[in-house]
Amino acid sequence: MASGTIAHPELEQIQRIGGADLVIGILDPGNDPGALPAAVVDVLSTLKATHRAVVLGRGFAIKPDFPNPAESKESEPSGVAFVNLAEPENANASLQGVLDSYLAVLTVSSKLAARACVVIGSELRVAHVQTVVYQLVQPLLELGFDLVMPRYDRQRTEGLLNRSILAPFSRALYGERIQNPMGPDFGLSGKLLQMLLAHRQGKSRGYDIHPVASVASAAACHGLRICESHLGARVQMPAQRTDLSSLLATVLGAAFSDTELNAPFWQRIRGSKPVPWFGEPESAPVEPGPLDVQPMIESFHLGTQNFQEIWGNVLPPTTLLELKRLARLPTAQFHMPDDLWASMVYDFALGHRLRMISRDHLLRSMTPLYRGWIASYALETENAGLREVESRLEQLSAVFEARKPYLVSRWRWPDRFNP
Amino acid sequence: MWDQVGKALNASMVRVLSQFASLLPGILALIVALLLSALIAWIMAAILRRTLTSIDFDHGVPKWGFPSLVEFSPSNSPTLLVSRSVAAAVMIIGFLIGISAFDVALTSEMVMRIFGYVPNVIAAVIVLIAGALISRFLARAVLIGAVNMNLQYAPLLSAGVRWLVVVLAVAMALEHLGIGGGIIRLAFGILFGGIVLALSLAVGLGSKDLVSRSLEREAGRRPSQSSHEPVGHL
Repeated sequence: MASGTIAHPELEQIQRIGGADLVIGILDPGNDPGALPAAVVDVLSTLKATHRAVVLGRGFAIKPDFPNPAESKESEPSGVAFVNLAEPENANASLQGVLDSYLAVLTVSSKLAARACVVIGSELRVAHVQTVVYQLVQPLLELGFDLVMPRYDRQRTEGLLNRSILAPFSRALYGERIQNPMGPDFGLSGKLLQMLLAHRQGKSRGYDIHPVASVASAAACHGLRICESHLGARVQMPAQRTDLSSLLATVLGAAFSDTELNAPFWQRIRGSKPVPWFGEPESAPVEPGPLDVQPMIESFHLGTQNFQEIWGNVLPPTTLLELKRLARLPTAQFHMPDDLWASMVYDFALGHRLRMISRDHLLRSMTPLYRGWIASYALETENAGLREVESRLEQLSAVFEARKPYLVSRWRWPDRFNP
Repeated sequence: MWDQVGKALNASMVRVLSQFASLLPGILALIVALLLSALIAWIMAAILRRTLTSIDFDHGVPKWGFPSLVEFSPSNSPTLLVSRSVAAAVMIIGFLIGISAFDVALTSEMVMRIFGYVPNVIAAVIVLIAGALISRFLARAVLIGAVNMNLQYAPLLSAGVRWLVVVLAVAMALEHLGIGGGIIRLAFGILFGGIVLALSLAVGLGSKDLVSRSLEREAGRRPSQSSHEPVGHL
C-alpha cells in the first residue's frame, strides 16, 4: 500500500473496522470537505439495502454521531466510517501523489474485502455528491455490474487526450466503447478489484502498471460486466495542470505498458460494442470561443524540424514524409488525417514496446504531434455543435478500429515492418 | 701496422655478425609470433563474425540503444567492427610476445611498460564510450524538453550540451592516458569557464530585456494561470 498516504492512527482505525461492503475514496473534496460526510450518508441511505461503508478522503469534519461500523452491533451491520487520508507531500498534488492515493484506496478496499469500491478523482462538490456517488455506487451494489466508468458533460476542448488517444485506442484494442477508460472517477466490484491487484503483480515480470491504467482492460479481458454513468460536468484536479509532456509520458506510458501485458488477449478482438449507460447528460456545456491554434501549429512545426531522428526510430518513412507535407500547409488548411494519427499512435505503442530509445524520451517526443492533432481538431470543429463533435470523434474511433490490423501486424512481426 | 688494422676490422666484423646472428632467433620468433597471431586472429574473427551474424547483431545494436555504433562501424556493420577489433587486439598481443622473444633488457622493459599502460588505455576507452552515450542521452533530453517548450534555439542548446559532455569525456580520457597533463586541465578549465561566461554574458547583456519582461510576466501571473494549454487533456 502507499502507506505514506494513510497516517498510522487511520491505519489502525481501518484495521479495527475489519470489513465493509463499500469503500469510497474521495481524492479531492473541493472547498467544503466538512459538508461532504453528511451528503454521502444521505446518498447511501437512498440505496435499497443498508451497507457498511468506509469513506476515505481529506479534511472530513467527522461528527461523533455518525454510526461507526467498528462499533456497530452484529445485528445492525450498517453505518459509515470516515477516514482521512494524509495530505500529499507536494502541495501542487503531483501526478504521482494522485496515483498513490488511488492505490491506497484500492488496497484498503482489498483489505476490507469490500464488495464494491468507488474512487472519485475529480473535485467533488457537495452539490454533485448525489449524482456522482449514487451513479457510481448503485450499478455496482444493486445491478451487479463489475465496472462503472464515467461519462462527462464536456466542452469540445476538454478531455482531449482521452478523446484523441485513450478512448479510441482502448476501444479498438478491447472492443468496449468506453468514453473514459482511465476514469478518473470509477467504481469496481470486489471481484474486479482482486483481479486488478493480481494484475499489478505483473510488475514483477518487468511491467510497471498502475491499476488506474488497467481498470478497463482488466474488466474487458476477464469478460466482466461494464457500464457507464453520466456524472455531469467534471472539475479537474490540479495535477492535470502539470506539464503536458510529463502528462503524456505518465499516462501513455501506463496505457502502453498495459497494452504490452494484454497483447495475447487484444490481438484476438475484432470490432467493438457499446456498453450500457445510466443517467442523462445535464445541460449542454457552454462552449468557449475559438481556440488560438497558432502556438500548437508552431509547436508541431518545431517538432517536425527537430524530431526527425527520434521519430525515425518508430515511424515509417511514409509517415515522416506525410508529417513534412503537413508542416508546409498554411494554418487555415492544416488538417491531420485520422488515418495518419491512428497509425502514429500505434507506431508509438510499438516503439514503446521495442524500447528503441528511452521510453520517456519517446513519449515526450509525441507532444508536438499531439498538439498538431489538437490544432487540426480545433480548426475542424470550430463551428460544430455537440452532436457534430461527437460524430467527429466517433469517426476517429472507427478509423482506430479499421487500422487495428496494422498494429497487430507490426506487433507480431516488428522487423518485417521496421521503418 | 696493416696486420693490426686487418685484425681490428676482422674482430669488429665478427662482433657485428655474431651480434646480428644472436638477433636472428629473435627476429624469426617475431615473424613466427606474427604469423601465428595473424592465423589466430583470422580464425577468431571468422568465428565471431559467424556467431554475431547468426544472432543478427547488426540489427540488434540500434535496438539495444547504441545506434551511433552503427554509424561508427566500417560499412555500417557493428559485426565487422567487433570482429576486426578482436583481430587487431590478437595481432598486437602477438607482436608484443614476438618483441619480448628478443630477450633484450630494453625490449622486455618496453613490453612491460606497454602492458602497464594497457589499464590506462582501457579506462580511457571506457570513459570515452560512457561520455558518448551520456552526451547522446542528455542532448536528446534537452532537445525534447526545449522543443516541447517551443524554444526556437532547441537544436543549439542540445548541441551545446552534447559537446560539453564530449569535451569533458575527452579531457578525462587524456588525463587517464597521461597525455598533456596540466595543459589539458588548464585548457579544459579555460574552455569550460569561457563557455559558461559567454552564456552568462549573452543572457545578462544580450537578452536582459527579454529576461526582465519574462520575470515581470511571471511575477504578475496568478497561481492558477500556470503554464498549461488552453484545453483539458483528461
